[in-house]
Amino acid sequence: MLIKESRTYKLAKATLLAVLIAMTPVIGDLRAQTKKPLPTAEKKEDPLSLLYKDAIKNLEEKKYKEALVIFEELDAKAVDVEPKLKAVVSFQKSLCHFFIRDWPRAEAELTAFLDKYPKGTEDFLSDTDNRRGTAELLLIEAFSKQGKWELALARLEKIRTNTLARPEERVNAFTLSAQIIVDRAKSSPEDVKKAAYAQGIALLKQATADGISTPERREAAYKLVEMYTKLGLAKEATQLKNEIDAKSNGSPVEVVRSNFQRLEIGDARFGAAESAADENFRADFYRQALTNYQGTLRRANLSSSFGRAIEAKQTEVETLTKNFPKPSPEQAANIEKAKQEAAQFKKIQEEFNANKDYDAFISYRIGLCLLELKRPWEAHVAFLDIFENSPGFTRISGAYYYHILALRRIGRNNEAQAKCKEFISKFPKDDQVSAIALILGDISQEREEYPEAIAHYKWVLANVKTLTPEVIEEIDFRVAACLFSQVDWAPAQKAFEEFLKKHERSPVRQQVLYMNALCSFFQGKYKETKADFDKYEQEYPKGQFIPDVRYRQAIVKFGTSPRDIPGTIKLCEDWLKDYSKNNTDEVISQMPEVYTLIGDANIALADEIDKKVKAADLDVRLNAKTPEKAKFVEIKTKLEKEKEAVTNKAIDAYEAAAKSARTNPQALEFVLGELRKLLPGRGEHKRMRDLFKEIFDWNHNDPKSMTYLYEVIRSTERMGDMPEFAAESEKVRKNFSTQLAAARKKVDELERRDKVTKEEVDAAKAGVKKLSVELEAELAKVEVKRQVSIADQKKRALKILSDAVSESINDRTQEGTEKLIVFLAEKLSRKIKRVKPGTKPEPGAYTSAEAEKELVKLLRLEDHRESLVAQARGFFALGQLAVFTREPEKTAANFAKIAANYKAEELNPTILAMVGDSLLSKGDQKKAADFFGYILEHSRSTEYADYGFAGLAEIAFANKKYADALSLCNEAIDNNILMSKELDLRFTRARALAELSKYAEAKKEFEEIAKTKEWRGEKTAASLYWLGLMAERQATDEKGYNEAIAYYRRCYMTWKKYEVWAAKSYFASAKLFANKLNQKDAAKALLKEMLEKDRIKDTREAAEAKAFLLGL
Amino acid sequence: MRLSLLLPALALLAAASSPAQTFVFKGERWEINDPFKLDNSIPPKPVVDAKKGTINVIKGTIDRVSNSGGIEVTLTRKLTEVTEVIWPLPSRLKDAQANVSRGEPAKALDNVEAVLKFFEPIKNVPGSWWARASIVKLDALDRLENDAATESFLAAFEKEEAAKLPEVATQIQLARLMQRARKGEHEEVVKESTELLTKVDTAELQARLHLVKGNSLFASKKYEAAMATYLRVPVFFGSETEIVPKALLGAARSFRGMDSPALRDQKLEAVSNRYLYDIIVSYPVSKEAEEAKKMLPKEERAKAEADQKKIAAGGPLPEGVIMAKPKLADEEKVEGNK
Repeated sequence: MLIKESRTYKLAKATLLAVLIAMTPVIGDLRAQTKKPLPTAEKKEDPLSLLYKDAIKNLEEKKYKEALVIFEELDAKAVDVEPKLKAVVSFQKSLCHFFIRDWPRAEAELTAFLDKYPKGTEDFLSDTDNRRGTAELLLIEAFSKQGKWELALARLEKIRTNTLARPEERVNAFTLSAQIIVDRAKSSPEDVKKAAYAQGIALLKQATADGISTPERREAAYKLVEMYTKLGLAKEATQLKNEIDAKSNGSPVEVVRSNFQRLEIGDARFGAAESAADENFRADFYRQALTNYQGTLRRANLSSSFGRAIEAKQTEVETLTKNFPKPSPEQAANIEKAKQEAAQFKKIQEEFNANKDYDAFISYRIGLCLLELKRPWEAHVAFLDIFENSPGFTRISGAYYYHILALRRIGRNNEAQAKCKEFISKFPKDDQVSAIALILGDISQEREEYPEAIAHYKWVLANVKTLTPEVIEEIDFRVAACLFSQVDWAPAQKAFEEFLKKHERSPVRQQVLYMNALCSFFQGKYKETKADFDKYEQEYPKGQFIPDVRYRQAIVKFGTSPRDIPGTIKLCEDWLKDYSKNNTDEVISQMPEVYTLIGDANIALADEIDKKVKAADLDVRLNAKTPEKAKFVEIKTKLEKEKEAVTNKAIDAYEAAAKSARTNPQALEFVLGELRKLLPGRGEHKRMRDLFKEIFDWNHNDPKSMTYLYEVIRSTERMGDMPEFAAESEKVRKNFSTQLAAARKKVDELERRDKVTKEEVDAAKAGVKKLSVELEAELAKVEVKRQVSIADQKKRALKILSDAVSESINDRTQEGTEKLIVFLAEKLSRKIKRVKPGTKPEPGAYTSAEAEKELVKLLRLEDHRESLVAQARGFFALGQLAVFTREPEKTAANFAKIAANYKAEELNPTILAMVGDSLLSKGDQKKAADFFGYILEHSRSTEYADYGFAGLAEIAFANKKYADALSLCNEAIDNNILMSKELDLRFTRARALAELSKYAEAKKEFEEIAKTKEWRGEKTAASLYWLGLMAERQATDEKGYNEAIAYYRRCYMTWKKYEVWAAKSYFASAKLFANKLNQKDAAKALLKEMLEKDRIKDTREAAEAKAFLLGL
Repeated sequence: MRLSLLLPALALLAAASSPAQTFVFKGERWEINDPFKLDNSIPPKPVVDAKKGTINVIKGTIDRVSNSGGIEVTLTRKLTEVTEVIWPLPSRLKDAQANVSRGEPAKALDNVEAVLKFFEPIKNVPGSWWARASIVKLDALDRLENDAATESFLAAFEKEEAAKLPEVATQIQLARLMQRARKGEHEEVVKESTELLTKVDTAELQARLHLVKGNSLFASKKYEAAMATYLRVPVFFGSETEIVPKALLGAARSFRGMDSPALRDQKLEAVSNRYLYDIIVSYPVSKEAEEAKKMLPKEERAKAEADQKKIAAGGPLPEGVIMAKPKLADEEKVEGNK
């Protein structure tokens, strides 16, 4: 047993002998005297009887030694008495020896009793039981205690096979036989033990073959459950256990026993789970253990069960005592029996109450099972129960440990750390402190909070005195690793060096040597780095970090001054030769870095050559008019070719790096940056497109995939503007420039001549003009070709985009699809030539209608007719296109189609949010509420969660459910669910507070909105109006009304463009002037001013103001 | 040989002598016709054995025919003379309980009213099922959320002798708490249910109270506390199969309430869906399973339904699923009639 409660359980286990012994000695003499009084009994009680009573009294009081002395005296004195009385004394003596645990004497006395008195105690102690059976069993117990198994079993076999023996005795014999067989095999090998259990089970099955209706049979059944449990026969154990429970008489003894047996079955299952090799079996065993633990009664239940039983027993005692003031021996026996049972129940209750850990142990076990069953949330709750209800639990440290594990598994690292700290402060001397402090540090380390992690580790080293050398070593390493991770190279290096000195034979020595070298490396101490890496290579020529070491050695060559570029490239190429076929994760991840280094080295080479090119260029210029020019030109050209070749190598290397950087995002990011600088400038758009397309295709759900796709589209579009067009244009221009120069020269010459007719000059000018026109026409031809090419590539780009969208348009869970759709819609909208409202577009111009058609085509909606979400996305795309083309009615119409045709569960958060907002603005609150509600139900962690809160709050506010609106806003704001709708939520919260007359809080909110620069706009105007309105509502005097008017004035003076709020403010001010301040003239003037404003004229307030003005 | 042949016969005899519907009077016992046992006629009628007692509610008597020396005599005793009732769980009460579990409160009321009517004249006699039936009626009314009817029934029930029994008193307190929860007095409900939790001892009441407390915490938007309260039911009272699915549903909703962009890493939506999945897989015929199906995204709903079918056909349990274990026989024994 694992638990303290086993004391109580043992008490229950003792029932077998209790059943046999409990009532044996107490009343024998009385009954015997009543039936057959001793000769002198009528006059005076005889001394032997007194001695007997005295002995029995001692026996009752468990003073066995004293009782034995008296019984021996009695034995010596009672020479001339009936044999049965001698037998009684002999039996009682044997009992005393038994209870004193003097097994040899008990054995001798019991053997003597059985040999000498074939009729046993006859009718002296009981009419139906001469105690021979009991003596036999006690003798067997005495044999067992002395390890005389065979003697015990031989005796038991005699009883079992004696058809004349009382049935209960035979049942007991079976039970004891089984127990002895199992006890005998206790220290035997496992197979012998199992065989013993099997034999025991066979015997117990015989004992229970005729049911379990008597205490003896139930006892046998309990034993059978135990053995089933030990053998792992859970099904049989549970089945029999349920049968026993069903026949339970409800006595506390049975309740407790049944309960602890359930716990035992649970423990056995848990143990089986722990040692099970097969995962499936293990889970099953944990489930079975959990079911048993859950079926165990809790303290409250057991306590009340005890209470009821004790109360019932006491009532029975009282009733019997009351009903039989002068009891017959039989009645007295019954009273005594009831009293004993009441006492026994109380004792069990006391024992149980003394164990304060009972409930906590059950919760603890349940928590462990749940943790093993991968139900960390439930485990968290089970352990919480211990902290809340049993803070003094003896295994509280274990509870903390497993609760911390549960918290980590559910991703609550903050709470896990808080729990670690709580534990350390509460139980600084507990054995678990070091483990928990390590966890505390580990969480910090995992969260990259290194100084905190180091502090935790150092605290452990300083404060925990019971650390094993292994834990100390681990902590030392972790501290150094934290310093390393927080890029504190010098202290990290110092820590690693100390570690190497302190733990020379550490299993992590290789890693420490490597990290130590890295510290030198990152400090730029290349000389030391080389030495450190050399040391590593020497100690671990085939070490796990060799590839990285070789790569770093190449970097060292590249970093030392002067640079050894060929050396660097050589090392890198050797690295690639040796490892390019190695498929380990580390090597695969390092490969792009090696390629990048080759690229960098080549770029460095190109830079060096570039310097030479510049020098050569200078030489060319300086020798422009010397015969040496050609030589310098040749040098320059050669250098330029060299530079080009090296740059190409660099680009190739970078490209190879990018293509191999799938598992190394940092390297990928760097190298793509380099390629973005190099490729477009060289007009290598196709290469750029192909590369980004390849990277985009790795994973379309990658957060960066949109960026890659964007590059693909841009490069594709740029591909259309090929360098050939520029060259052709240049060629045309060159061709015409000679002709044009000649023609212009001719015009110039003619104009300078004296005798030239105007016609001649005009003809020459016409020639120039003609040439210009021809040039333009030729250039236009090239441009047309260029435009066609660009359009063609744009089409291709759209096709790529369309492919990307089409791939995921059917999948509701792909949140990136909407982003692609918006991207596509935006692209198409740019093709539209905008015209002023009311103007007809030019014939043949690309219109929004055509964009819509093209969009539908690009989304391939025809191919996805069956897909609800694809069709919904189609409407969404059209709606978005209309947003870009500034056609709000079309947007609303398309979104309305989504609302009309789709259930919320068929849409994703983006569409739900956008369409919900659109519905709300159109006044369809019901449908909007459905959409927003669905967001709140399913998408609280998405970037559209705030749409749900803001939308529902707005609807609640509009329906005057101000408390609900406030609650929704508070929930969003308190939980920081504020991505796009913070302003809306704060504004609704402020209005709800105002409507609930919480003016101070509302004022604070409105003022916050009004003064926040980023929010300047309509809500600023609205906030000023609401501030005025609140002041008005609270005003009781002139000062109050003036305060309100001041806010209104700020609104209509500053925010005229928000006509609704300006109109409300104007009108409210005017009413205050007229009604509260008795300044009708001022009111009239203000209203006239209001009604003159173009924006305000058509508002509802303007209509009301006109009527009000007439009444003034 | 004869003995071994006799054994099965004795077993049969023992089975046949399982406790019949009996009224105990001072000095004698009468077997009573079970009014809930119907024959096969259309419409079905109660099976009446003239030798067994039949209750005449109007007269307040029990009549039976006795054959004494070949002469049939009708014996009559007053219902007020009954000192004890020995009656197995009435079938309609069992049905009513099942109706409540399945979320069919109207049907439950129909069944339970018949039981109440029958036991009404002997409601305070030991062994009467009246108190238990009243509790089931309370449950049904609570499910109907008809506060007026609940209030009127509770007011009458509280005046009854049975209402003083500790278990019944707690049930009434629970019903009152539920009423208050419906009125929106959540803070008080949480406070009182917390207090009451320290006083009740049975697993069923504990589980119910946790559910009531969880509901009020949820309504107060205290999602974290609600989750921890709801989850105590499957964790500690896993055999309360009627209450566990409700608690799981509450927990699933609480997880959704707890969800926010800041806690995205905890994947609370997925955790919530996992509980909904558990309900569908482990409690497929419950009302909560239907609700869970509505709440689950359709892809996951389809998976849950498919897994449930596989498990029903004897397939292995998916990882992490803990199938509901019904209460053990001894715990199931209803002591309400003792």
